[in-house]
Amino acid sequence: MTDAIVVEGLVREFKGGIRAVDGIDLHVPAGEVYGFLGPNGAGKSTTVRMLTTLLRPTGGRATVAGFDVLTDAASVRRSIGVALQDAAIDPFMTGRELLRLQAVLHAIPRAEGHSRAEELLDRVGLTDAADRRVGTYSGGMRRRLDLAMALVHEPVVLFLDEPTTGLDPTSRVALWEEVRRLNRESGTTVFLTTQYLEEADQLAGRVGIIDGGKIVAEGTPAELKSSIGDPTLMITPADPTKVADTARILSRFGPEAPGRPGTAAVRLATGAEGVAAVVRALDDAGIGTGSIDLHQPSLDDVFVIKTGHRLEGDASGDGAAPAGRRGRKGRG
Amino acid sequence: MRPAVHQTLALARRSIKDTFRFPQAWFPSYFFPLVLMAIFTASFGRSIGHIPGFPKVDGFLSFAMTGAIVQGVLISAVGAGGFFAGDIEHGFFDRLISSPTSRSAILVSRLVASMVLATMQAIFFMAVALAFGATIKGGVVGALVVIALAACLAIPIGGLGVLLALRTGSAEAVQGMFPLFFALMFFSSTFFPRETMTGWFRIVADINPISHLVEGMRAQVITGVDWQAAGVSLGIIAGLAVLTVGGSALSLRRRLEGN
Repeated sequence: MTDAIVVEGLVREFKGGIRAVDGIDLHVPAGEVYGFLGPNGAGKSTTVRMLTTLLRPTGGRATVAGFDVLTDAASVRRSIGVALQDAAIDPFMTGRELLRLQAVLHAIPRAEGHSRAEELLDRVGLTDAADRRVGTYSGGMRRRLDLAMALVHEPVVLFLDEPTTGLDPTSRVALWEEVRRLNRESGTTVFLTTQYLEEADQLAGRVGIIDGGKIVAEGTPAELKSSIGDPTLMITPADPTKVADTARILSRFGPEAPGRPGTAAVRLATGAEGVAAVVRALDDAGIGTGSIDLHQPSLDDVFVIKTGHRLEGDASGDGAAPAGRRGRKGRG
Repeated sequence: MRPAVHQTLALARRSIKDTFRFPQAWFPSYFFPLVLMAIFTASFGRSIGHIPGFPKVDGFLSFAMTGAIVQGVLISAVGAGGFFAGDIEHGFFDRLISSPTSRSAILVSRLVASMVLATMQAIFFMAVALAFGATIKGGVVGALVVIALAACLAIPIGGLGVLLALRTGSAEAVQGMFPLFFALMFFSSTFFPRETMTGWFRIVADINPISHLVEGMRAQVITGVDWQAAGVSLGIIAGLAVLTVGGSALSLRRRLEGN
């Protein structure tokens, strides 16, 4: 199995002809962290619900861990771990009870289930809170427990639907670290949806941008950024009289870019990797560099260019979903 | 098959724990029947000999005992539907169906939990009534028959709760059906014998299956072990169970496949 997730022409049409997911193709190799980035109502959750067998596609096909989500849903369910949006956790149960229950649901023998529960509690830092009811947990603790529950049976593919939405920055970073560790140590494929550019940038090996039910761009964060333009390198020579000389040398590496007074700037045609060569060239010419400033196009820039609008919820969080799109509340 | 059995038991245990950890869920099902039993007994306790048509009983409390049990089972089984709807609303249901949990375990575990809760309630109301002087003519066997019937009754009523939950997906909607069940119970012989009723009220009580169900249970208490009466109760329970559990199984399938 080389591809953990294969999606071809996947469509989900709801009653009334609204296509929440409108013919998407995806190939996620085993061991990758794939980030699915898009605003509310773009089709992220609908896609995840189809891939986790909760919702039937109305067109196209999808396999997860090598099993078809329609014809072999039972095998898919055994292979995946799912942590859905809003951390679906029973508030009256304790963390330990829920983990043990989850182990039973995955048909893990009792003793093994118990030791697995302890191991996971420790792993996500909930050992001390294990016997407290989940209703008393903070948002971050719930998400960590949710993640632990998704990992009870050591899934091949892990689905995380907006795992950090609503979390404070500290909890967010802690959860990122956990996902990275999981991917690094166990080679678990992770399919992650997010409306945070930073999250996609931080975690994902590859990012797909979905908008209006269609994938509008895909690639590594670096590829996506470079696809919309080269990074700008701005050099301030140590000797202010050498600005012109610096600019001449920089021109070998790409077209000139506007810089501030006392600096020379260039759009690096070679990408960010070209910085070392520039520094060497300046060094060879005997020009000392006072400061080096590399500005990468951000994923934010990519998003705006590919979709024509800013990602709501990322900074301001108030932009309403564009008309005609189906928010997740309206799911049938 | 074995994983399905373990899943059913584990989920049933979770349902029972949930119920007792949420006082609003279990308290009414113990409190209200007790209050009604006390009020009716205090009000009519001394007059039963003078009401025309009232069957010969040792005391009103003996008569009221089964009514309290049925009422308690009804309240808690509707509560089970509320919990199930809550699972759907909060996403626990999604967690279950995105895992390899057996589909029947999801449904059956709720009914098993309701049966366990009903058994506890039957024993509780019986114990309270006995402590205040009620007698069970059917003795230990009669008592066991009543408890067993109460446990069985939890199946169709719990099934109805789950059916409503699956249809509406809303705990509020399920709880909103509550007065309807209460009316169904009051228009029956749950609290007073049909023999004392007149007019259309009597006609409604006559055709209300709850009347015959309760009378079959009550016979064990006020007249002695009566297998035929128990058989009628069981028959009514089985008939209702086919309707409600069958209906909820269909609704579950539709919810899973219609998605």
